[in-house]
Amino acid sequence: MVTSGASPFERMLLTGAACMDPDVVTFVGFHWPMVMARVARRLHAPAMTIVYENGIVEDRITPVFPTSPCDLVAADGATMCAGSVDALYMWLGAGRVGMTMLEAAIVDRHGNINTTAVGPYKKPLVRLPGSGGGTELGSMGRGLLLVSASTNSRSYPDCVDYITSPGYLGGRSQRSSLGYKPGTGPQRLVNPLGLFGFNEAGELFPTAVHPGVTVDDVRACFGWPIAVPDTLNVLPEPNADELAIVREELEHARERAYLLPQD
Amino acid sequence: MVDKPVLSMRELVERFVPDGQELMIGGFAFSDPTALAHELIRQNRRELYVMKTSGGVLVDMLVGAGLIRRLLSCHVWNSVGPVPAHCFRRSLEGKGGAPFEIEELSYGAFTMGLLAGACDLPFAPTTPLLGTGHFETRTFLPDKLGQVMNPFGSEPVSVVAPIKPELGVFHVHRVDALGNAQMFGPTGEMRYAMAACKRLIVIAEELVDTEVIRARPEATVVPSFMVEAIVVEPWAAHPTDSYGYYLRDLPHNELYGSLSRTPEGFAQYVDEWITQTGNHSGFLAKLGEAELDRLRLRREQW
Repeated sequence: MVTSGASPFERMLLTGAACMDPDVVTFVGFHWPMVMARVARRLHAPAMTIVYENGIVEDRITPVFPTSPCDLVAADGATMCAGSVDALYMWLGAGRVGMTMLEAAIVDRHGNINTTAVGPYKKPLVRLPGSGGGTELGSMGRGLLLVSASTNSRSYPDCVDYITSPGYLGGRSQRSSLGYKPGTGPQRLVNPLGLFGFNEAGELFPTAVHPGVTVDDVRACFGWPIAVPDTLNVLPEPNADELAIVREELEHARERAYLLPQD
Repeated sequence: MVDKPVLSMRELVERFVPDGQELMIGGFAFSDPTALAHELIRQNRRELYVMKTSGGVLVDMLVGAGLIRRLLSCHVWNSVGPVPAHCFRRSLEGKGGAPFEIEELSYGAFTMGLLAGACDLPFAPTTPLLGTGHFETRTFLPDKLGQVMNPFGSEPVSVVAPIKPELGVFHVHRVDALGNAQMFGPTGEMRYAMAACKRLIVIAEELVDTEVIRARPEATVVPSFMVEAIVVEPWAAHPTDSYGYYLRDLPHNELYGSLSRTPEGFAQYVDEWITQTGNHSGFLAKLGEAELDRLRLRREQW
């Protein structure tokens, strides 16, 4: 059954959730990736193994929606509670994680992410939280999926002011010469418009869009002249079940003090 | 072994934290010893050099109250919402409040720097960081990160300098009179961070008999011989959570987030919740038994 009325934000969450593989150990970062993971567990990946930066291993949905991985309702029913050397190096760095999900508030042409400061570092126009473990996810994460809920071109500058989490830096060849392991670096980005990939030069380009999204919408979203392929796949409309589940989880998030885009 | 001094929070700050102290504060958005921050504000400490991996509301309060001269951290935000750490943001954007200097490391590099400090190693290999902001931008720690060639290969390796804080104060779950301290649940970087500190004080939810410690020795995160003094302060980590003891207090985080949006609101929070409450018992009384009951976890005896 096809349902209209899904918002672009809901489509983003469902498209991100659909990227999650029940058989792949997944490192889930803070914020919207956590919503996607809950949606994926309810739709197709109930027993997927998820790890968090503080050392939690989770293989089923938690009864209560955590406000962040360090909201320890996230550890309810965990199969392991370890630490950050385990999570960031033994699991992520050593390649035992097959998919990595990282929110990218500001992301540039080469997938470099800024969550530190807009403008000069010492006198920023906008100060952001800083890296947390986001640097590690950008540097060492396999199967890295970036998540951005924004379609404002200010969120997609040609070149970020501060590289908090490395994408392809100045391009794929630069990254590989600086000690980053093969197989790391962003592979996809999901936003309210659809799904994006990174080409051989390490530049972002659209691969599939949500129904109704035009090439002009895509061009207007980015702060550089983004290369758009001749044909763009169109992602499926969410069905009624998918839409109901994403809305239930968003309601759950709201009860847990999440600020949602429409608030 | 001899028993360790048991201090009140007031005595801890009076005796161990003079103005200008270099101080690593434990917690990673859980087990943040917020009661320590309250007491630092009550005693109006100045010019502190604070190290904290995830700064959260605790560091935001210290910044807002003008206590910090230098901060080393990897993240400072109010993770409920999430909403900005408003005092932190205002100060760094030059929009009010006392200025302070910030230096940053990624969470992984911070962890490995603490591990190097704890093990007395000259440096530790860490996350590949070349070309990133953390590597390119330095403030008061110009030598925080470096690069060596892999002696067993041919690629550049990012390395982090050892971190050895002069004093560490960490929240733990329980401790015995000797100073054996235990934590349950995830521990983030805390074991390495505690061991990296030259002097260490723990703030425990409860003081227990050594036989209770012996029953679960794998939960000991720091042995007695590394602990100098003990504070016993139930609910010391509120409004962050303490695994198995109490939950994160979302409404209180929202209250702080909403008041700290303006300097006046922040001053009101400090006056009502920190100054006028006098001590942590007063803070808990203001919070009220019904709220504590809502947050309390009724675990089985470990």
